[in-house]
Amino acid sequence: MLLPGYSYSESIAPYYGSTGNAVTDQSLTWSMPDVLPEPPGLDIDTVIYNYTIRKETEDSVDVYVGNENAAGTGYIFREHDQWRPGSLDGTEINKVIGIGGIHRDQWGDGFIDVEGNGSVEDPRVIYTYRVDPCYNPQFDPNCPGYVTPVPDIPEVNLDDLYNALEDENVDLERKTEIAQEQNEENLDENEKKKKEEEEEQKRRYRLEKMMSASDAAALFAESQMIKQMNEIANMQANVNGYYSKSIPGGVYRDSVQLADTQLPDNRRGLRNNLAQQKLHQQMIDEQYK
Amino acid sequence: MFNKRIAKAMVAVAVASTTAISFANAEQVPITGTVQSRCIIQTDTAGTYGNPNAYTLTTAAQDGGDAAVVRYDVSLADAYYAEITPPTAFSSAPNLPDQVTWAGSVSVKTVSDATGMGTYEADKLEVGDTDRYDLTATGSTWFAIESTATMGGNKAFAGGTYTAVAEAVCIAK
Repeated sequence: MLLPGYSYSESIAPYYGSTGNAVTDQSLTWSMPDVLPEPPGLDIDTVIYNYTIRKETEDSVDVYVGNENAAGTGYIFREHDQWRPGSLDGTEINKVIGIGGIHRDQWGDGFIDVEGNGSVEDPRVIYTYRVDPCYNPQFDPNCPGYVTPVPDIPEVNLDDLYNALEDENVDLERKTEIAQEQNEENLDENEKKKKEEEEEQKRRYRLEKMMSASDAAALFAESQMIKQMNEIANMQANVNGYYSKSIPGGVYRDSVQLADTQLPDNRRGLRNNLAQQKLHQQMIDEQYK
Repeated sequence: MFNKRIAKAMVAVAVASTTAISFANAEQVPITGTVQSRCIIQTDTAGTYGNPNAYTLTTAAQDGGDAAVVRYDVSLADAYYAEITPPTAFSSAPNLPDQVTWAGSVSVKTVSDATGMGTYEADKLEVGDTDRYDLTATGSTWFAIESTATMGGNKAFAGGTYTAVAEAVCIAK
């Protein structure tokens, strides 16, 4: 036989547990929300209780242990312990009541009622339970029946919405004119700014060109100056070489001997002289023209 | 051909007759069944002896001891007796210098049904050292077993471990 089942992840697997002692004071009553843990999907499986009866042997005592039915009248369970004459003082009772899984919402207040000449001592009431984390399927996306949450979009009556067209304080035509004027002004201003930026760029370009030309001239002048300084320095170096020379003393005899009897004129020098003479003559003649 | 068939048949008959005569016997066929006890006994608490003086061992709480507790689970009402006998000897002990005097008691400690078991203690029957309880109700009953051992002549118990055993039985009515 196949049973429907789900593969639970560890976080959503049902788990079991037990409460501490529900009886915390001598009132012998307790509220279940104070006893049970938080999870909503909690079912109580069993109730375990024990106590010691205090009575005289000849007395009869009736003890009731139970929980009221929070979802209606009566009780979820109600155990009746009849301690009849002959039962001895100090006898304990230890009971396990199978409940079979009743949801926490149905569990009303718990109680131990004692009727007759006697009392109970050291009462302990413990509940064992089973928790189903997927009791609310929205607890975890892995829970069976989980529905992806849809945002809650509030419904709006369109008639209740503000309509500017119906607002007598709003003159849309005027607003449009103002907007157009503003747009035109903005366009003019933008164009003006654009032209100014272009002019500025041109000015910068010219300035850069001019500065680069002046830089080149300055560079040329500097190089010339360095060149002249080098030449002067070289000349000084050449002259300095002669300062160290010494001429030995004595008589220097004329040793020139002319072997030829006739010295010819230098024709090259003559030509030059004649050229100079001619130029000189031309300059003089120019005065009388 | 015919003779051969007759001969085979006769041989077969002869063999069958011989078998019937020589193997006549009785056969025993076992029938088994299992009965689950409706009365289950288990040790709830093992007792311990306190040693309030040199010559006494006792399970009394005020003397540092603990009573043994035995639990009877009965699923058939009015069908069993519980018979419990406190120890009357050590099952293991160092050498004893003298005779030991034993005293013990059994009492109903806890019940699971006040109405049906509340008078077990008052109704018990003491037979010698043994206490007999009539288990008239279904459920669980816890019996406390107290034991005291006193060395004769007020002699001291020798050092060592002493073990005694109480006996709890369930007897069908």
